[in-house]
Amino acid sequence: MPKQVSVPPKVLGRSIDRRLVSTVARIFVAGVFLFSGFAKVVDIDGTIRQVRAYRLLPEAVVPTVGSGLPILEIALGVLLLAGLLTRFSAVMVTLVSAAFFIGISQAWARGLQINCGCFGNDGLNPHPVPGYIRELVLNALLITACSWLIRRPGSRWSLDAGLGLTLDDHDDDEDDADSEVPAIPLNGVQQ
Amino acid sequence: MTNARATRESRQAKAAAMRAAAAKAEARRRQMIVGAVALVLIALVIAIFAIVQTSKHNNAKNAGSTPGGFDGNYSVVVGQASAPVTVIAYEDFQCPACQQYEKANRAQLAAYVKAGSIKIDYRPIAILDRSSSTNYSTRALNAAAAVVTNSPSAFVTFHDLLYDNQPAEGTAGLKDQQLIDYAVQAGAPKAAVTAAVTKEIYKGWTVKATDEATTKGGVSGTPTVKVNGKTLTDVSAASVKSTIDAAIAAAKK
Repeated sequence: MPKQVSVPPKVLGRSIDRRLVSTVARIFVAGVFLFSGFAKVVDIDGTIRQVRAYRLLPEAVVPTVGSGLPILEIALGVLLLAGLLTRFSAVMVTLVSAAFFIGISQAWARGLQINCGCFGNDGLNPHPVPGYIRELVLNALLITACSWLIRRPGSRWSLDAGLGLTLDDHDDDEDDADSEVPAIPLNGVQQ
Repeated sequence: MTNARATRESRQAKAAAMRAAAAKAEARRRQMIVGAVALVLIALVIAIFAIVQTSKHNNAKNAGSTPGGFDGNYSVVVGQASAPVTVIAYEDFQCPACQQYEKANRAQLAAYVKAGSIKIDYRPIAILDRSSSTNYSTRALNAAAAVVTNSPSAFVTFHDLLYDNQPAEGTAGLKDQQLIDYAVQAGAPKAAVTAAVTKEIYKGWTVKATDEATTKGGVSGTPTVKVNGKTLTDVSAASVKSTIDAAIAAAKK
């Protein structure tokens, strides 16, 4: 009786479609950035004050950062939603989120009583800690989603694929080969 | 025979690998081009937007009239000049936390002022325009400037009326006519206030007052209350009282 062929353990790529996971990650990050970008862009003066409130940047660059940040967020949100330049956008989002993460952490550490500006809130808040935690968790989630996207930028319904900017199939094949159990000959005989 | 087949297969495999490599290089090249174009476009849009915003902000700042009656352009000081303790209060008329601060502290602060131990330096600002559909923050501050310009002694009453009748966040705020009525009730002349409120002639000044507070004043939110220069982290009645008492005691030494 031939030896029973062992079934490879179910790896992620086999049980669910990785390209679909990338699509979900992409849309999640895009949604957060578009929402927060629009909330900021409708009140640029407020956003500039918010940037100032973190007391990290010199006053000379605060207005430029405050007005540029919402545009950058919206641009990255649009790119990710369209699935255009996914890896590049994911890297940029990671940098922006990391900057937010550091900004919030230092505000908390220094005991600044500010509402996080991430969703366009304003002003001093006597109980800022829940807000800090919420924003830190959100930014950690964004960074996690982006690190997935940086590794696997190929996703369903993306312009990248449509424009021939990625060769997802090849990427996937290579990645699959890494993670899979080596093929065992059907007759169980080692060659 | 087997050898020839193996060679053909290996040649085919090599060709396929080369094609794949070429396709990959092509994809990478396209990615670089599109990426560079996108990066330049985003940078350009950001730069243009930042420049437009800055010039808009500066134009808004320099438009309209400058109100009179303020100390050092942005302050309304209430109390005796000789009072040993100065309480600076940065407030926004739309800010619910300021309303709470006012409710909790108004009576005890008035008693201190009456006793000559403190003076209050009111510095109203407008940072919460997005909390109403009509920029109530700015309109209320503009109305306050009109009151101070025309009748400085009416300011505190007007200020108190606005906090007692503060509109909820997310609403349209008080109407211009309501602002005018409160100003008149506080003792300001109707005609002058009406003109200033309906045309928002001090709007540019409201931007300047807010900029001044948030840059030089270090204000990141309202209410920001400073007792002899020290910012309070807790503006409850008990905390304000103990801070003021300590400042008075320190001044007596």
